[in-house]
Amino acid sequence: MNLGDREAMNDVISNVLRYGVLISAAILLVGTVLLVVDYSFTDSSVFLGYIPGRIPHSSFSPSLSALALGVAKLDPFSVIELGVIVLIATPVSRVFFSILLFAAEKDMTYVKITLVVLALLLFSMLVTPFIPAFHA
Amino acid sequence: MIGFEFLIILFFASIMAGALGSIVGLGGGVIIIPILTIFLGVDIHFAIGASIVSVIATSSGAAATYVKDKMTNLRIGMFLELATTAGAIFGAAIAAYTNSFLLELIFGSILLVSLVPLVRQIGEDIPANPELVGLAKRLSLQGSYTEVDGSTVNYNATRPERGLVGMFAAGLISGLLGIGSGTFKVLSMDLAMKLPMKVSTTTSNFMIGVTAAASAGIYFARGDVDPFIVAPVAIGILIGAFIGTRFLLKARNPTVRKIFAIVLAISAVEMIVRALGA
Repeated sequence: MNLGDREAMNDVISNVLRYGVLISAAILLVGTVLLVVDYSFTDSSVFLGYIPGRIPHSSFSPSLSALALGVAKLDPFSVIELGVIVLIATPVSRVFFSILLFAAEKDMTYVKITLVVLALLLFSMLVTPFIPAFHA
Repeated sequence: MIGFEFLIILFFASIMAGALGSIVGLGGGVIIIPILTIFLGVDIHFAIGASIVSVIATSSGAAATYVKDKMTNLRIGMFLELATTAGAIFGAAIAAYTNSFLLELIFGSILLVSLVPLVRQIGEDIPANPELVGLAKRLSLQGSYTEVDGSTVNYNATRPERGLVGMFAAGLISGLLGIGSGTFKVLSMDLAMKLPMKVSTTTSNFMIGVTAAASAGIYFARGDVDPFIVAPVAIGILIGAFIGTRFLLKARNPTVRKIFAIVLAISAVEMIVRALGA
């Protein structure tokens, strides 16, 4: 496949999205099956308590090591969290691959545009959660 | 309600939301949020967290197909994402100093007003093809796609500056209210840039995933993304998006425009009702 070709760009971007979605769906499915096995007869209100004063408000693992431990133990909530992280990473990878593809087409204007988008996106995702002003 | 019942209701509602969202270029929050808050009694913060995940799922699930079939315009999408991501960050930064009641009232009203030009051209198939000039020409904001009957539709974008302003507003709303802003994105491309309706909805669809991912970090960190809620939502949405994309590729522009107008009216009313706390 010639990556400098405009047709190739559509195929690569489409595949990045497709695989991201399929991997995350597979993980989420495993998590949901575990959830159904463990909690089908538990009252749903147990999981829906929103605690305004505490961060995080829900039962998602706050740290990556807790997440890894949970996934290893096949804890349904941790497996689902992993699936959601893969899902959120999908559009980010799409932007990242766009930069490479625009570069292969030698379209420098769009390489710059996409670099700015990626920078804004990563700033928003990874930096703003640590700035108190953003915790409205 | 037992857990299983909750999961099943949410799963089927999400299939519907994913199908509808992937056709009209929105994330499905317009269905997911009221189902969660009104019917399932879930806190609005969790509903918004679920809506963010549903936007990303609709976008990535549907765009995989639309991009392959060259319905989405990648360059127009990337160019406009400059404005949506910047708007989203700005919105999130000033959210603490704004009044969400007033915002929802204002944005709901804007949506209602924008129904007028939308309905006036309700039967329109392909907009008159303007000449490619200025910024649109420099950034090659043009494209072509294959219609249902096999004919090739060529189109040029017009007034990209207005499109950028509309997209900044769309991003701002996502950052401020945490809701998807597909409606504003489709309107910007349709009314300002005069793109064919299906190009507008599919390119919006492509973009909303990035806008939502931009705000996902903060909702995730706050713990507004509840695993019990988002698991059935994400899976349902992906199945729905698969169904919706098949429909859109076979549908004509006027049909898509009509469905969009209906969904727009519903989300406008929803926003105003929420503002008034009814």
